[in-house]
Amino acid sequence: MIKHHPKTELLNAHVNGQLPASLSAAIAMHNDLCPQCAQAVKHMTEQQAELLFEHNDAPELANDIDLNEIDIEQMISDITNDDSVELLAENVPVTISVKGQDYKIPRAIQHMHMGKWHSLGKITRARMELNEGDIHSSLLQIEPGGTVPEHTHKGFELTLLLQGSFSDEMGTYVPGDFIMLDGEHQHTPATTEGCLCFTVADGAQHFTQGINKLLNPIGSFIY
Amino acid sequence: MQLIEQHGTNNPVKQLPSHHKRITNMNMNDDIDHKELADWLTAVGQDRDKQAFTCLFKFFSPKILRIAGSKFNTQNIANEIVQETMTNVWRKAHLYNADKGAPTTWVYTVMRNVSFDLLRKIQSKKEDTLSDDIWPTLDVADESENEFEDHFESQKVLSLLDSLPEKQQQVIKGFYLMEMSQEQLAKHLNLPLGTVKSRLRLALNKLKQQVDLQLGDNHD
Repeated sequence: MIKHHPKTELLNAHVNGQLPASLSAAIAMHNDLCPQCAQAVKHMTEQQAELLFEHNDAPELANDIDLNEIDIEQMISDITNDDSVELLAENVPVTISVKGQDYKIPRAIQHMHMGKWHSLGKITRARMELNEGDIHSSLLQIEPGGTVPEHTHKGFELTLLLQGSFSDEMGTYVPGDFIMLDGEHQHTPATTEGCLCFTVADGAQHFTQGINKLLNPIGSFIY
Repeated sequence: MQLIEQHGTNNPVKQLPSHHKRITNMNMNDDIDHKELADWLTAVGQDRDKQAFTCLFKFFSPKILRIAGSKFNTQNIANEIVQETMTNVWRKAHLYNADKGAPTTWVYTVMRNVSFDLLRKIQSKKEDTLSDDIWPTLDVADESENEFEDHFESQKVLSLLDSLPEKQQQVIKGFYLMEMSQEQLAKHLNLPLGTVKSRLRLALNKLKQQVDLQLGDNHD
């Protein structure tokens, strides 16, 4: 059972279109597997639409914006002169193969530009090329028996488990679990059956123990 | 109808979900006729009805301009959001299903998606229109398979150590594997502290270069 969900503020920002694509995609993928949060988002969307379109206390018109600057008749005729219709594309599931293991790729990230896959030991990852500044997103595969050395983060680290399972000091996770950690947390994820995760982080990992400190200069490899 | 004011908040977005049902039920605004809006949308979707579209346009565009204006605060972008949103309403109206939700909710999602993609275009210089994948109520996507390429053999990092000059290996191993402090290392190796520090820095840079090279990837 999914035990880890996005916080309400995050869902709200998602509904309002205020999050980076990486985080909104993560919420969308979580919601594919979590009817409870999907329902909450549906609800918030209705609420937000109602607020903005149906109440007279909608945002004040900003000073610089002039309603009369739009030539309504012109715009309407421009739009309706185009007779093309947006067709509903068929949903063809995308699968990828990582180290001989096949994975179904959720719709939310199907069209994201992805870098090449690279491996370091049992960890294999591909970057999502989203160009979101300090925020890095990746697909991360860990082979059975693999571990990410104990580490913490300068900023936040989100791990959305897509397939398989893994455990850390805080418990065991199932697909759909939305695990948001910050610099206060240290953990050592390990998987016996292997897993595929979508990860979003806004700072490099910082390895905290022994030989793995050696990895710190390259801590940005994984997340 | 005045429930919102009675709740005494200027920012009803933050209302608790438990209040929401009441607002929905009691705040049936006289000005809003869902049935009429839904009929217009259906007429556009099924019959390409320009008159119905004009009605939708006149209802929604001033509101969208207000919302976009408060978010982006420039006339050009606000106009663009009105234009794009209403274009999508025209082109996608046949995807609206009156059984599944209010017409205002549907138009809101169209507008939100347009703003999201535009914001992304401005902030990330990317024109990848991801919104319809993230909020796939409107249409659904397909794509061919991605291929997997494996470049990097296992456990490279430690073996990379061997590629370093002996003196750099010493400081790296001492500092990371034996967990000695830089001061201890300086004493142990009989070197000035500054030399230990610069050697360590050189060694790490070299290691990082090696890893970058192996990964063929500028991850930072």
